[in-house]
Order: sequence, then structure tokens, then C-alpha cells
Amino acid sequence: MRNPGVKKWLLTLFLAAMAGSALAHHSAAMFDFSKTVTVQGTVKEFQYTNPHSWLQVLVVGADGKTVEWGFETEGPSTLLRSGIKAKTFKPGDKVTIVASPMRDGRPAGAWISATKADGTIYNLRPGPKPAAAAKS
Amino acid sequence: MIHWRASAAVIVLVAGLAAQPVYAQTYLPREAGSTANTADKPPPDTPIPKFYQESYRAYLKMKAAAHGGIQYTRASYGQMPDWSGVWSRDPAEGVKFDAKQSGNVFAPDGPVTADLTPRYRAAFEEKLRQVKAGNEWDQLSDCLPAGYPRWLVEPFLREFIVTPSESWLLTEQQSEARRIYTDGRGHIPDDAAQPLWDGDSIGFWDGQTLVIHTIRLTHGEYQRLQPDYSYQTSTLERLRMVDPNTIEDDVTVWDPKGLRTPWHVVVHYKRGTTPGSRIDMWSCDSNNNVVRTPSGGSQQLLRGETVTIQRAYKDPDTFYLTEAQKKLFEADAAEASK
Repeated sequence: MRNPGVKKWLLTLFLAAMAGSALAHHSAAMFDFSKTVTVQGTVKEFQYTNPHSWLQVLVVGADGKTVEWGFETEGPSTLLRSGIKAKTFKPGDKVTIVASPMRDGRPAGAWISATKADGTIYNLRPGPKPAAAAKS
Repeated sequence: MIHWRASAAVIVLVAGLAAQPVYAQTYLPREAGSTANTADKPPPDTPIPKFYQESYRAYLKMKAAAHGGIQYTRASYGQMPDWSGVWSRDPAEGVKFDAKQSGNVFAPDGPVTADLTPRYRAAFEEKLRQVKAGNEWDQLSDCLPAGYPRWLVEPFLREFIVTPSESWLLTEQQSEARRIYTDGRGHIPDDAAQPLWDGDSIGFWDGQTLVIHTIRLTHGEYQRLQPDYSYQTSTLERLRMVDPNTIEDDVTVWDPKGLRTPWHVVVHYKRGTTPGSRIDMWSCDSNNNVVRTPSGGSQQLLRGETVTIQRAYKDPDTFYLTEAQKKLFEADAAEASK
């Protein structure tokens, strides 16, 4: 994340979302909310369920090896309120994910935003941002 | 031949059924106009333990001021408030027990507004130290319910189902339901009572306001990063619609063990407006891969990972508590046995 302004905005957005709904089922201490990580990859599976949904993404690293990352977010009803449905992310979709990484460095994080190939951004709040608006 | 065999089969079947013991069933008569599902009503003057008396007196005083409240019936169902819809706690209030506490839920930067007893204050401060050290465990990760009064401040969808004799206050999370009896019954008698996740609630209608008295709670925590409460906790609530899109719960908590003075908070629930939004069965174990670490923290298992967990017998009363909570609640139990 090169743009510190965007980073701060995303962090603020995320904390606002957390205050209202996110990660209510378990301690959030495993995630480092002072940092963000951005990865690009291909959706393997969208586990759209309770208590937490997970977006599993295959990411090819600089060494050419593929690593499966997991991104935690809320359950279906909260996601639906943000315009994220069960079939919003399908296996094979290209995505760019911004997340708060795990403190221990494992390939996972707390989902802040997910951008699909058409430019649509999906956040817990304020909901999906159409590609045209995302560019403005 | 086929006809003969079929007849024999029927005879054997009938003989078998006749040999089954018959259990006598006694059905309690239903009161006219009642919508209660449980007709076995404790009398209104059923005694309750003395540590609930202060809140109960406040409840009875409120009931007297309301001239006993309105006893709605099936015939007057239409005069009850319409709280239909899907609701969730006002996001602006976060999940703190008292929305007035400053800071977000992960970093409350203001003091908790509860007037805690020294012992519960010390336990709370120890909890915050442990969280800071990365050791935080939530009973929800054991797939246990939040329990009341934490129920008030969980963030997910809710429904408020109102009927004349009992009302159901539902949260989506683990499909946790509170039942409020408004048919004039008293609390569960002492010889039949036990600590309950969401307590034993009775109430009355003060016009369009549902007044609720709740006792018999399990001990627990008001929320993560919030204090604990004891089994002596009781509450008095006034639940009402303050505008078409807002339901307000005015809550006062008494806890002789944990609070020096009652804790008053106001919680708001906002109407859901998302098309297609509805409450479905919420199964906690569908995707729960959080495990407790040896130091008492929480860790997420990722796909492909395995961990060896030394599993011991789970004491039903304590297995989900933190070490600090065990000490705190054991001290409460020791005091009670004196």
C-alpha cells in the first residue's frame, strides 16, 4: 500500500465497520490492525457461512509458488447488507484483496476490501462501490 | 395367499402396538385469550432471592405507576405495538455495553461507565492486561451463546415478536431467543430455578412500552473488553419504539457482587432496510476454526493446518471461562456458601 492517505482511509473505514459488526465471534487479537497487506489472486472458494465467511484465494508468489490465502469477514446477513452475496465471488474470479494481516505471518487476514477485475470494490461498509465510482 | 399374509401382518402390528405402555398426559387448561405457550404459571407473588429485591421493587413500583399495565388478549392483539421488521443494533453505538464509553470496541479510550466493586474492578483490569498481552478468549468461540445482558449489544439481526401473553426477542446469533412472559405470572420458584443464559424474564405492558424484569442469569461478561457480571445480576428494561425506524431499550442493571451502584445504559436498534434481508438459522460450528491457545488466547486454524489439542473433561459450569473469570466466580460461590 504505497498511498498513506488511502491506507489511513481504509483503516478508518475498517475500524468503523469493526465497531459495528465485524469479528464479533472471537478475539481479534490475532490480526494486526495497524498494518495492511494487499494481494492479487484467483478465488478458490467463498465460504459464505456463519459465524464467519472466508474468501479463499490462490496467490502466486514471486518465487512462482502458489499459496492459498484466507480472508475472514462476517456472516451472510451482514455481508448481504453490504451487497455481498453468496455468488459475488466465484471460483476463478480475479481479485485484489486488502486486509489486516495475521500477526504471526501466516497467509490470512481480516478482509478490508476486495476489488474484482471489473473494478467493483466490496467492503463491509458502505457496501459495494461500482467501478465507475471507484475510479473517481 | 397374499391376502392371508397381509392380514397376518396387520394382526401382528396391532398386537405390537397394543403391547406398548400408555403414558398418561395431563394438559393444563389454557386461559381464555391467552397466547402463552407455557400455561404452567408461577403465582405473581412467588418469592425470589433477596439479591434481586432491589430491582424487583423498582419493577413493582413501575407496574403500580402503570396501574398494573395493560393485559392484552387475542381480542386486543391489534392494539399492541407493531415491531415487525428486521433490526440490528445501531452501528454508531458499536458493541460496547454503554455507547457513552468513548473509543471503538477494540480500543475503548475512555473509562468503562460501570461503578464496579473493587473485586470486579481488579478482575476487569486484569482482563485488559491479558488482552493487551494477546490472551483473549470469547465464549462465543466455544459456540456458546452470548447470554443476557450481553445479548443486548451483539451486532447481528434481530426480531421483536410481540404477542399478548409472551413476547420473543430474537437475535440471529446462534438463534438466541429471550422469552418475556406478560401474562401476570411470577418468576420461576426457587426450587425449580437454575442459572439461565438469558435468565427468567417477566413483564407487563405500560401502554406501548414493554417493561421487563430479568433474574436467574449465568455469570459472564458484558462484552469483550467489558467487565464481568455475577449470577446475582438482575435487570429492569423499558423497551419501546421511539420512531418508526428505532426501537430503544432503557436498561438498568443491578449486581450486588459486581456493581456498587446500578448501571444504566440505553441501547438502540435500527430497522433493517436491505432487500432480501432475513434471519436464517445461525449455526456456530458451520465454520468455526478458532482454538484456545495454551496461554488463554485465540488462534485461527487455516486450511491444511492441524493442531494437537489436549482435550480434558469439560466441566459444564467453567470450561468456557478464562482463568481470571474462574477465580472471580469461585469467590462469589465461596461467599454464597458462607
